[in-house]
Amino acid sequence: MDLVLIQLLNGIQYGLLIFLAASGLTLVFGIMGVINLSHGSFYMLGAYCALTLTQFTGDIFLSLLLGVPLAFVFGVIIEWLFIRHLYDRDHLQQVLLTFALILIFNEVQKILWGSYPHSVPVPGYLQGGVKISELLSYPYYRIAVAGFCVALALAMMFVIQKTRIGRIIRAGESNREMVEALGIDSRLLFRFVFAAGVALAATAGIVASPLESVYPGIGEPVLIISFVVVVIGGIGSIKGAFLGALLIGVADALGKVYFPTFSSSVVYALMAAVLIARPGGLFGRAA
Amino acid sequence: MLARPRPLVIVILLALAAYAIALPFFGGAFALKFATRVMITGIFVISLDLLIGVTGLVSFGHALYFGLGAYSLYFISPTSAPANAFLAIPFAMLLAGAVALVVGSVAVLTRGFYFIMVTLAFGQMGFSLFFDTKIAGGTDGAYINVRPVFSLGSWQILNFQNRAAFLYFCLAALVLSYLFLLWIVRTPFGRVLQGIHHNEARMSALGFNTYAYKLASYVIAGTLAGFAGMLFAAIDGYVAPELLGWRESGLAIMMVVLGGAGTLYGPLLGAIVYSLVEETLKSASELSAFFSLFTDTANAKWLGGILANSWSIPLGLFLIAAVLVAPKGIAGFIEKFAGQAKRGKPREVAPSTEQRAAAKAMQLEVQNLVRAFGGLVAVNGVSVKFSPNKVHGIIGPNGAGKTTFINVLSGALRPTGGNIRLENEEIGGQKPHNVARRGLGRSYQRTNVILPFTARENCALAAQARFPSPLRFSNSWRRREEDEAVERALAAAGIASERADIRASNLSHGEQRQLEIAMLIASGAKLLLLDEPLAGMGPEETGRVTALLRELSADHTIVLIEHDMDAIFAAADTLTVLVEGRLLAHGTPEEIRMNSAVREAYLGEWGQEAKP
Repeated sequence: MDLVLIQLLNGIQYGLLIFLAASGLTLVFGIMGVINLSHGSFYMLGAYCALTLTQFTGDIFLSLLLGVPLAFVFGVIIEWLFIRHLYDRDHLQQVLLTFALILIFNEVQKILWGSYPHSVPVPGYLQGGVKISELLSYPYYRIAVAGFCVALALAMMFVIQKTRIGRIIRAGESNREMVEALGIDSRLLFRFVFAAGVALAATAGIVASPLESVYPGIGEPVLIISFVVVVIGGIGSIKGAFLGALLIGVADALGKVYFPTFSSSVVYALMAAVLIARPGGLFGRAA
Repeated sequence: MLARPRPLVIVILLALAAYAIALPFFGGAFALKFATRVMITGIFVISLDLLIGVTGLVSFGHALYFGLGAYSLYFISPTSAPANAFLAIPFAMLLAGAVALVVGSVAVLTRGFYFIMVTLAFGQMGFSLFFDTKIAGGTDGAYINVRPVFSLGSWQILNFQNRAAFLYFCLAALVLSYLFLLWIVRTPFGRVLQGIHHNEARMSALGFNTYAYKLASYVIAGTLAGFAGMLFAAIDGYVAPELLGWRESGLAIMMVVLGGAGTLYGPLLGAIVYSLVEETLKSASELSAFFSLFTDTANAKWLGGILANSWSIPLGLFLIAAVLVAPKGIAGFIEKFAGQAKRGKPREVAPSTEQRAAAKAMQLEVQNLVRAFGGLVAVNGVSVKFSPNKVHGIIGPNGAGKTTFINVLSGALRPTGGNIRLENEEIGGQKPHNVARRGLGRSYQRTNVILPFTARENCALAAQARFPSPLRFSNSWRRREEDEAVERALAAAGIASERADIRASNLSHGEQRQLEIAMLIASGAKLLLLDEPLAGMGPEETGRVTALLRELSADHTIVLIEHDMDAIFAAADTLTVLVEGRLLAHGTPEEIRMNSAVREAYLGEWGQEAKP
């Protein structure tokens, strides 16, 4: 029973983390109409960035403070160099270009950090955990990560529901041409949204880095799972991404307990089931 | 429609084939193996092009079938004896095809981005099936100890161990696969696939069960990919879960796009170019030789070494440049170089001189029809009868629910309540393609023809809908009947025969609207639902089309929505007025003109001019 509880907690925490990555993906696709396969690479770069920054600062949260603005600037540069050429292209060319970006980012990672796994230390004040039973405890750091993700999710929903930029983003989701007709510079909006997406993926990579080792290709499973979450939640929907991510996190964790051999298939089966019932995802417009 | 390859393309392909045939006489073992691998990859990517370029289904999980084909060779191979390729090949194709049937039946329900993601997810499921379990060596993969042979009894026809023989076999397989796909694409079946790519709603409104067509295309592509995968496993005698993974699927998409999707030969060239670039970038010596053209030997060696170590970076940059510079891929360049496509000569069919015999058309009756969107009731309890061989106009202010009404009649929307009877048979709530097959054809507010097809091809597509069996590969079956229907339809809709072989995208707006009507006639529909057929037309075109509608009523029932009041009052036998989803009035134009409720509803809009 304790094992199930721990797995459930892990599942929720994993889901919250995935939400950070998936929300960036869903914004970029929902608003800009760009399929970004390199999204996982930004998660990976975030994790490696945490590795290097923590060697200097000694604290993962300081690294977060430094890393997120760096990621945002990096996102602006990537958008300016590559992504902006894709807005009027079809999905195929977007897939091709962002796939090529993965090749490049993976190689850059190999040159800068090598192909061995590394680990990032949990800060001293978050060592240890909450006792659940005689034998099991739940680490403070995981609780902190979950809390951080929830806070960020609330902040995002506030921004999207209540602020000016949020209104533009919501308008852009449902009708891109309309936003342009209203006199908003869509180039600037897109640059901001893409950079925000990169920053979100990198944030997820940074806070996740002390949880598991940092290794090449760490972003690829995140990319695939994020796509599953976006499809389940409905394209462009932050709320959908949030519920979808929690659903996936819990399904994955329970799958590991009850169907250990087929655990990774559980989430895909879940996605297929959702799509048969609701082809546009839980909160999406029918495609 | 995808034309036969140009002479230039044929020359390129023949030159490549000749090179492959000659290769065993001068190439080393490595070159032979490399060429074999490229040819097998070629089969794989052209099968993917049937989905991506022809049918418009971007599958991100095509490696699933490639990998299954590869594993099937492992399953069927005895530990220390060769498998018989006569069994191994059908086994691989059957396995891949069966899985494609199951996966496709779900995946094809979705489209666009969702289809990409669903196929990706199924691919990853297949990957984890082999990666997470102990089947066939699990993560480490497994070896096939003895390569397969083609044998009959004790007679060994071809051993895959023999590199040259294997290469020739793969070449033959590639050529046959290419010709097979080229043939498929040009059959009536393939014509529908291309129609679906460009306009799925239109195809189902014509009466094609697009689900069945897409599924058939998916299964054919999967089966062929399984064949390629089986051959691939025979190169090194090794299979690993990565063969099914998303990177493999992504690489295949990349080759398709690099070569030019939808051309079949393009992806083949894409596979060749990609493999050559990758191989060159991987080998330091070739790079050093290249750099020594610009700098001294030591520097060149150093540069080449660095690049060869990190060959993914230049490869990635090469691909990015390719997307940005040549969005239509290598094939795009070739087509540009080869100039405008010459189309096949139209088949000469004597235009039927006989006057069209008047024939009784169909009657459509609607009772208490309701359609609600949540709380908004767009069509609210409408009852009306459209009698046969008449022109019926539907008018009403914007937002009156006219288009919703037509969408419910044609099956695009399900009714919330009420009945729709076509010749006393209930059709309410049926799928659009079933409604269309009963003889109800519709056009759309926006012009909705298949733009890359010529006018004649558009009509041929529609004529084919008279016998819309999904697996129709014969070009001659019913050909005469259909050709006649096409010619009749073109003539009836007033499309001049010298305009019939021009791509629809190059026709004028008026001609495109006429083409829509021609398609409906060719499809054999007896009742035509037209959504604003006169929109955007000048006075001369309007006159021509209204005259056409009058003529068509000799053997059709016509129901049309129209905003051009002068034209519709002149052309229609009856008028139906909808206001806020309700039936306000129904009667002859004269009755409607006199109707005080109508005049009130419309006063200010056209009440002034419409005064008698």
